[in-house]
Amino acid sequence: MLSYILKRLAIAIPTLLLLIVISFLLMHSAPGGPFTSERELPPQVLANLNAKYGLDDPLWKQITTYVWGIVTEFDFGPSFVYKDRSVNEIIAQGFPITLTYGLLSFAVAVLVGVSLGVAAAVRHNSALDYAAVGVSIGAQVLPNFVMAPILVLVFTLWLGWLPGGGWQGPEYWIMPVIALSTSFMASIARITRSSMLEVLTSNHIRTARAKGLPERRVILRHALKPAMLPVISYLGPAFVAMITGSVVVDIYFSTGGIGKAFVDSALNRDYAVMMGVTILVGALTIFFNLVVDILYGWIDPKIRY
Amino acid sequence: MVMTSEQRVEATEIAAKGRSPWADARRRFFRNKAALIGLVILGFVVAFALFGNSLAQWSNEELDYNVMGQIVELGGPSIESGHYFGTDDLGRDLYARTVQGTQISLAVGLVGALIACVVGTLYGAVAGYFGGRTDSIMMRLVDIFMAVPYMFVLILLLVMYGRSITILFAGVGLISWMEMARIVRGQTLTIKGREFVEAARATGVSAPVIILRHIVPNLLGVIAVYATLLVPLMILTESFISFLGLGVQEPLTSLGALISEGAGTIAYGTTWQLGFPLLFFCLTLFGLFFIGDGLRDALDPKDR
Repeated sequence: MLSYILKRLAIAIPTLLLLIVISFLLMHSAPGGPFTSERELPPQVLANLNAKYGLDDPLWKQITTYVWGIVTEFDFGPSFVYKDRSVNEIIAQGFPITLTYGLLSFAVAVLVGVSLGVAAAVRHNSALDYAAVGVSIGAQVLPNFVMAPILVLVFTLWLGWLPGGGWQGPEYWIMPVIALSTSFMASIARITRSSMLEVLTSNHIRTARAKGLPERRVILRHALKPAMLPVISYLGPAFVAMITGSVVVDIYFSTGGIGKAFVDSALNRDYAVMMGVTILVGALTIFFNLVVDILYGWIDPKIRY
Repeated sequence: MVMTSEQRVEATEIAAKGRSPWADARRRFFRNKAALIGLVILGFVVAFALFGNSLAQWSNEELDYNVMGQIVELGGPSIESGHYFGTDDLGRDLYARTVQGTQISLAVGLVGALIACVVGTLYGAVAGYFGGRTDSIMMRLVDIFMAVPYMFVLILLLVMYGRSITILFAGVGLISWMEMARIVRGQTLTIKGREFVEAARATGVSAPVIILRHIVPNLLGVIAVYATLLVPLMILTESFISFLGLGVQEPLTSLGALISEGAGTIAYGTTWQLGFPLLFFCLTLFGLFFIGDGLRDALDPKDR
């Protein structure tokens, strides 16, 4: 197991470095420098700015400085637009918020999705099954940017139950979490249902039933674990998509997470912040995929890479 | 019943004629009710995108000065004013704009899926066919690309190189070929060991010809299934970006951009601005998902 984890780590670290270098090169090849604006700056000022931000160094030196800063001090450098703020400060402000509603949505999607899927599979072809399938098919076409305005319309404008935006207390969390989790919940329910149906017809379940185990134990102990494999492999992409969805949530519900920092920096052409967020999200993705891989190896002992 | 000789000849011909795998798949597809419903829904949406404009009383750029300033009172959907879906907050006809948005969204979906298919198929087939070190390097690269938060990179690209529709088309396609490449590689690995590939190799056919003439045609079923499932994903990606205001630019519009406009104005009570684009967005996705699922059931031998 340990060597397996080490092997995955050995792939993850170069991946991350490559991601940093790619996004750096992308930024570097952008037409116009970060200080290009409608108002032409005097050449001396521009030269000074470039010297301050190290943009007059040769490319390899810029890259190594940047990578070194991230690796040793977790420092993403200064923002190109806000002179008194570093990228770290901007990210640190939004990140806890994103993490809060991101993890909550993730938990909701997994818990509700898996329960719905298992219930549908256990009561195959019952009204409950059809309802679950119907819900998961319907929710598939309701991504976050569709759910968000619908929720606001219903719960804020029509019913007046929930605040339409902001980030002050748990009642502000409800709509972002629902908006973000719905479509993933649906996919997880679908995947769980079909894999559970398959597992329930397998021999080891028949044996478990034949030796007289209570049905609850058969489902929870013997069927659920193998049935979770396809769900777990879906969790990696789902996590990435949820982090991406935070952009919509932050914009529409004014929650102020890193999605907002990203879109603001995109509109301001603040490349340093954009890169910082991209790399951070990439690192999270890589880390999460690592966790999923380890989980997968733990559940299914047959898998050895 | 006594058959005439002609009928008898016909019957034996039918019996003798074998069913091709494609005919089999077609039969399975048309027996699937959900897939048929999907086909009808998609047919309706496509007809709306192609011919909807001939029913429109207003163009998508004209401003209706009668309703301007009083959108909430006068801009709602009505037959008399010719605004079947109402108007947007500037007084433009929402029907004409929804037609245009549907056209653009469908186009992005198709082009994006096409790019993803071509790139993914070639990449996967090459990796699978050559195998060995080429394969492991190429697939490791795919692993690395998959860890890139592509939506962020796409937004980065759109901001840096201007929000042109070309970059959107290419970007949307280029971020999703990886899954396709993996699937195609897996299938290629099983096909390349077959006798006909061996025979081709033995008679000295070159590798590119074997890949294009012998391997890719045998993958068409798998490719068709995943291509159909890719189209809605591409539409979702484009709508996501347009919702953020980073996608297609005015006067062009897409369903995502229209949903974004509608979502921004619901507080004023113009719910039709959200409702109609949303309806067509959901119908399009529904149709495509159902057809994709139906095709998978009909063509993918793994799921039977």
